[in-house]
Amino acid sequence: MSDLPSQSALDPAGVGAENIANLFYAMAVGAALIWIIVVGVSIYAIRFPGEHDARKTRVFVIGGGALFPTVVLTALLSYGLSMLPDLQRPAPQGNQVIDVAGVRWWWRVAYHLPDGEIVETANEILLPVDEAVEFKLTSEDVIHSFWIPSLGGKMDMIPGRETRLKLFPTRIGVYRGVCAEFCGTAHAQMSFDVIVESRANFERWLDNLRSPTNDVSLPGLNVFHKHGCGACHAIRGTGVDGVVGPDLTHFGNRHSIGAAVLPNTPENLSRWITQTHIVKPGVEMPPFDRLAPEELDELIVALEQLR
Amino acid sequence: MDDRAERLLQAWQTPKGWRYWSAVNNSEVGLWYTLTAFAFFLFGGVLALIMRVQLAIPNNDWLTPEQYNQVFTMHGSVMMFLFAVPILEAISILLLPQMMGARDLPCPRLSAYGFWCFLIGGVFVCGSLFFGVGPRGGWFMYPPMTTEYQTDIGPDIWLLGLSFIEIASIAAAVELIVGALKCRPPGMRLNLIPLYAWYILVVAAMILFAFPPLIAGDLLMELERAFDWPFFDAERGGDPLLWQHLFWIFGHPEVYIVFLPSVALVAMIVPTFARTPMAGYSWIVLAAVGTGFLSFGLWVHHMFTTGLPGISIGIFSAASQAVAIPTGVQIFCFIATLLIGRVTKNVCILFVLGGLATFIIGGLTGVMVAIAPFDYQAHDTFFVVGHLHYVLIGGTIFPIVAGIYYYYPFVTNKQLSERSGTISFWLMLVGFNVTFFPMHYTGLIGMPRRVYTYPSGLGFDIPNMISSVGSFVLGISFLVVLWDILRPKRKQPLVPRNLWNAGTLEWCAQVPDKPWGIRSIPIVSTRYPLWEQENFLDDIDNGSFYLPDAEEGLRETMVTSTVDAQPMQVLRVPGPSFLPLLAAMFTGGVFIFSTYHWWVAASVSALFSFSTIVFWLWTGTALIPEKQNKHVGLGLTLPTYVSGPSAVGWWAMFITMLGDMTAFMSLVFGYFFYWTVHESFPPIEFDGRAIIGPGILWPMVSVGCGLAAWGAVLVAHRMNKIDQSLLFFFSLFVSIGLSLASALALSCSVYSTGMDPTHHVYSASVCVLVLWAVVHTLVGAVMLVYCGARRFAGRMDARHDADIVNVRLYWHFLMLTITITGVVISLFPLVA
Amino acid sequence: MTANAQQHPAYTRKPYRDRLWWLAISPSLWAVHFLVCYLTVAIWCEKTSAETDANILRWLACIYTCVAMVAITIVGWLSFKNTGQSDQPPPDEFDDLTDRSPFLGFTSFLLALLSGIATLFTALVFVFVKNCD
Repeated sequence: MSDLPSQSALDPAGVGAENIANLFYAMAVGAALIWIIVVGVSIYAIRFPGEHDARKTRVFVIGGGALFPTVVLTALLSYGLSMLPDLQRPAPQGNQVIDVAGVRWWWRVAYHLPDGEIVETANEILLPVDEAVEFKLTSEDVIHSFWIPSLGGKMDMIPGRETRLKLFPTRIGVYRGVCAEFCGTAHAQMSFDVIVESRANFERWLDNLRSPTNDVSLPGLNVFHKHGCGACHAIRGTGVDGVVGPDLTHFGNRHSIGAAVLPNTPENLSRWITQTHIVKPGVEMPPFDRLAPEELDELIVALEQLR
Repeated sequence: MDDRAERLLQAWQTPKGWRYWSAVNNSEVGLWYTLTAFAFFLFGGVLALIMRVQLAIPNNDWLTPEQYNQVFTMHGSVMMFLFAVPILEAISILLLPQMMGARDLPCPRLSAYGFWCFLIGGVFVCGSLFFGVGPRGGWFMYPPMTTEYQTDIGPDIWLLGLSFIEIASIAAAVELIVGALKCRPPGMRLNLIPLYAWYILVVAAMILFAFPPLIAGDLLMELERAFDWPFFDAERGGDPLLWQHLFWIFGHPEVYIVFLPSVALVAMIVPTFARTPMAGYSWIVLAAVGTGFLSFGLWVHHMFTTGLPGISIGIFSAASQAVAIPTGVQIFCFIATLLIGRVTKNVCILFVLGGLATFIIGGLTGVMVAIAPFDYQAHDTFFVVGHLHYVLIGGTIFPIVAGIYYYYPFVTNKQLSERSGTISFWLMLVGFNVTFFPMHYTGLIGMPRRVYTYPSGLGFDIPNMISSVGSFVLGISFLVVLWDILRPKRKQPLVPRNLWNAGTLEWCAQVPDKPWGIRSIPIVSTRYPLWEQENFLDDIDNGSFYLPDAEEGLRETMVTSTVDAQPMQVLRVPGPSFLPLLAAMFTGGVFIFSTYHWWVAASVSALFSFSTIVFWLWTGTALIPEKQNKHVGLGLTLPTYVSGPSAVGWWAMFITMLGDMTAFMSLVFGYFFYWTVHESFPPIEFDGRAIIGPGILWPMVSVGCGLAAWGAVLVAHRMNKIDQSLLFFFSLFVSIGLSLASALALSCSVYSTGMDPTHHVYSASVCVLVLWAVVHTLVGAVMLVYCGARRFAGRMDARHDADIVNVRLYWHFLMLTITITGVVISLFPLVA
Repeated sequence: MTANAQQHPAYTRKPYRDRLWWLAISPSLWAVHFLVCYLTVAIWCEKTSAETDANILRWLACIYTCVAMVAITIVGWLSFKNTGQSDQPPPDEFDDLTDRSPFLGFTSFLLALLSGIATLFTALVFVFVKNCD
């Protein structure tokens, strides 16, 4: 299998992740030094037994055990606290706002457009580079946690509450986000794709996102209707408006299937539709393994055409 | 052996044959407890290996997600609730009395009851895994997943089974606090207590304040699951975050509850092998007490990513940093002791050093995750898995294994093999680090916790494979330890007495050991009496100290004062009995039947459990002795019966009620928590129905009756004291009537107004307070009936009044409970 | 036998500074300060709107901290005085105080120091983080 997009906090592509990674490296070096000294002294005490002067030892305990930690911890705490306001501060008014809801086990995403319109998509988030973006996070069932390690810290999604998170991507590229809070059976398979693009590309993508789907005459869409897919899924422009499952309006543009479980290829889509529970045990969608082969092919062609 | 020793031996004889299981003496119960906890540890370890097999390669489908979720849930729960906390209590039950020259803990039957509860509850919870119905919500059980989305009995098994064990843990904590404070040898002032006892005192006090919030949370969650009271249901005003608060108020101190007793073992082992007293005694007590307090200010650092305000996060981040200071102090004291002394190398010291090196890494990564911004990334990833295992295995397992090697001869009079100890040490050290060090990296490159599998291509494959290989090396190291413990040692010679040449009292035990604990209870004037007091062992063996005899054939130990350990009482401790086992079985029945919602069976079991416990109390506690005073040796005469603050029973009641009050305050906290998260609380209406409150009249009537009943209890106590029998019974009668009236009035505040606890979280949080207060009031009434019966039966009189004194103490707390309940539910809405 | 036998004085009421719970006072002061700060922040941030001046919050924290620090200092000072009441400790052991009062005094003094540091740590938060974000 080819390499997946980065999901690493040590490969920062955002302001938050970068600051935190630097903080980590600094702390790791300090911790290593402290460890070497303390363990070194203990080994010395055992390897070279000999009574040491109690008075000097007293200085050792007070200095090493009490004063030194107090000084180091005060400095570290101050530094950590000084990082907080910037991380916690919301993105400036007028910046892009994105609603993300955690649903077992996928992500409902909604973009707030400048004219006040809100358009929905799922399991994929596009962000403009070098801008702070404000996420408003909710949950529709259990507690989830929204985490894009390359861009910054995580934030829980809690039923009955709206939490918020600001991210500031600084590098164009594709990244991976995951659910970090244990949320049940398919917790391990609840990921999403994050694409950081230039402002111009982002706007083009957003324009496409708000438009209904391009082609409504494909025969596969009849299969979609016939088998009741519309009970859960929506495809704007075709009159199908299910809200239980992910919105599929521009499905053909997406990088992956089933909350970033499989890359979006026709073969994988076929596996997903017919062997849903083998690909992602626990998923709420029933498998459609009774579809006739030609129906399946038509359906796949249609879905891949939704752009 | 002289007559005196003969009689003493007779009194402390361990029962033979099948009656062996009726033993209640700390050496038997402590041993069973330790072995059971160790067995659960091995079980938890096997679960860990199963997880590592599953995670060895990407996209593995060896386990289904449901199986994996049960396995990791049980791994965490077993290690925390069935191993880590119980083993410390087990070891303390085994060792503490001996370290303090006592013959037993003050309430041996309570320890036995706690042990049987632990065994029954533990087997029940673990057993669920074999039927595929184990809990699968994680050891943290976050709702609403565990309330609305798991409707099987898994979560009930967790909630009820583990609550049952938590209660047993609290019982043991009460016992250990009283033991450490009141059962020290004469002369062992606060500044001479073995450091182990200091740690255990702090830890037991922490259990007392940490477990009740969890029990309160369990109660709320079970009420939601069984009766649909919407505490955590956001749709009806509930809030899942309340559970997180209650769980972590327990969960973080828990880490230190697990860690400190192991440090306590280190504090016993290090001076022995350094051949010098522990350096910085005061500093270590500072560290123990300081950690005990600060650890209660850390709980929100498990909730840094729940969207709390930055200042709240900062406050908890600050406390999390501060707690590192006392930890640093105690580590440096250990190292200083090693520097001052002349260390003899030994496998125990090897494990101590390995533990130290490992724990420091865990401590340092702990400081890192306590910095909130870093935690935003590290939280809920394998970094935290690595961190916590460094803390718990380095801080707990290594010292416990050191303790096993150190104390094995104390228990069995045989020695473990130095060679296999060394082998297992290196296997453990290497296996452990190979398993857990890579996890820090795995977490930082983005692997979340609690995933049953992971995709290939994210860089997780290699570190996970390394961890899995390491985990088996770690597993083998425990097999080596286990083999060393279990291998037959019949041909091996007995160890010499005090083979490590230690300085503390537990090593006074003779070889072969006698069941009497100690031949005579010594006077202690130094921290290491075996090193520093002349002719000490001979004086003990010759019975030259206190209580060398059992003239009446009764089991006796000494009670001393809290600070200066001045002799205060000869305490008669009960001997073998099956009552604790029976009571534990019936109590277990209540919890187990409730899991399946078999309410009738549960009620019958509750009735039996109640009767057994009453019978036990009636026949076994506060017995009027045949003589008021007793000569205990060295020209000292002590009373055989005391009541009030000098008596261990009073302390046990006081300490238990502190825990009870903590659980109650957690429920009150819940009420105010909902007040803060709601715009208006109580709301005017919800879901088209008006929200009904309890009103003012009934709660106030209840408070009035409650206060009057409390006053009548005070009068009854007074009348008993001045031996006014008639007036005693009269005021007792009045007080029972008033307490029933109080309970009734409080129930009326719910029933007559038609409050529906399933309507909104406001109704539910009022009802749970009412429920708590009513149950406690009824228990208070039953206690009064008991006192009346005791006096009527001649088992209590003006001089021997422990029953009414203890019940009066209960009523002080009850009065607070009733008043707070009434004020909160009826008056607070007026000002909110 | 004579070496180990000693007379136990009759039970007398001890001054507060010689009771066990004296140890717990300064950490309890930290706990109260901690809890009051946390609850104030929690209620403030839930119940007031974002526009309200957060400086009031910082003033409150400042007052709490001053009160707590004064109290901890007093406890620490009283405890420290208690350490000097007996003979000097033997020169080879830096804290092996054989009597109970100096032990309780010294340990309480150390606890007061620790509680003071922890209290100041809490106060530090209000210096760096200024609002409810």
